[in-house]
Amino acid sequence: MLMCRDLAVVASDYIDGELSPGQRLSVKVHLMMCRHCRALVNNLRNSATVLQKHSSQQVNEDYFRRVKLNIAQALQDSRDKNS
Amino acid sequence: MVKTGESSARSGDESSLIKRLQAGEQAAFDEAVRAYTPSMLLVARFYLDPASAEDAVQEVWIKVVQAIQSFEGRASLKTWLHRIVANQAKDGLRKAGREIAMDFSEPLEPALDSRFRTRGTWSEPPRLKTTESAEQWLESGALKACLDKHLTALPEQHRSALMLYEAHQHKSEDVCNILGVSASNLRVILHRARQRIFLMVETFRETGKC
Repeated sequence: MLMCRDLAVVASDYIDGELSPGQRLSVKVHLMMCRHCRALVNNLRNSATVLQKHSSQQVNEDYFRRVKLNIAQALQDSRDKNS
Repeated sequence: MVKTGESSARSGDESSLIKRLQAGEQAAFDEAVRAYTPSMLLVARFYLDPASAEDAVQEVWIKVVQAIQSFEGRASLKTWLHRIVANQAKDGLRKAGREIAMDFSEPLEPALDSRFRTRGTWSEPPRLKTTESAEQWLESGALKACLDKHLTALPEQHRSALMLYEAHQHKSEDVCNILGVSASNLRVILHRARQRIFLMVETFRETGKC
């Protein structure tokens, strides 16, 4: 029988649909009986949503500008070579 | 969570951007740089320190000016760019003689694992309300700031893998291919990051402390 700790180990796989049909059924049966594990799964699902919405990377404008300048130069070099 | 297939369902916007890039249109490159550079830096930072990662991405964009002509569209533009960055960064890594060590064998955060009795039942069950939504979590500016702090504290490699999967919505097989991590390691990284966020929110809700 699936214990609460076993469920905690596979909770993200359950959320992401990565479990086999048999494992999925065991998790569902356990969740029907255990409100603590339902709370855990709900909270981990919220955590995944929070991470998806998080703007992950701040890039400063100066860096963007440098990259764009280098590209402009590379495009010009390429045109010069082809003309 | 269902990820959309990138290679099979290319949007019209992406096809048009690719054509404009292949035509050497400066504005198209400006658009692409803004759209893809943040996630390209994540890939590079998986392998390199922040300054070297910025250099590597910069070099990749210069290569892309020529290489875009041979882009065949077998993967999405994003995946293609990420693969070039990963190769460039791995070259940098070889030159610097550094190696990536990754092994995540424990699926549970110690702070969560300690909340179970030895027979596997809860001794300290979750205390957060089950009815709360992620949107409610994000309503609090202080909680968002706390989230930023916790994400910054993650090991660089974990953060790269996590953000490529969650925030940039890459399919797990793409993340594994680009970063060279096994599927099981990626699953553990994702699972443990989610546990950390849950534990952080629980503490924050109870104590107001981050």
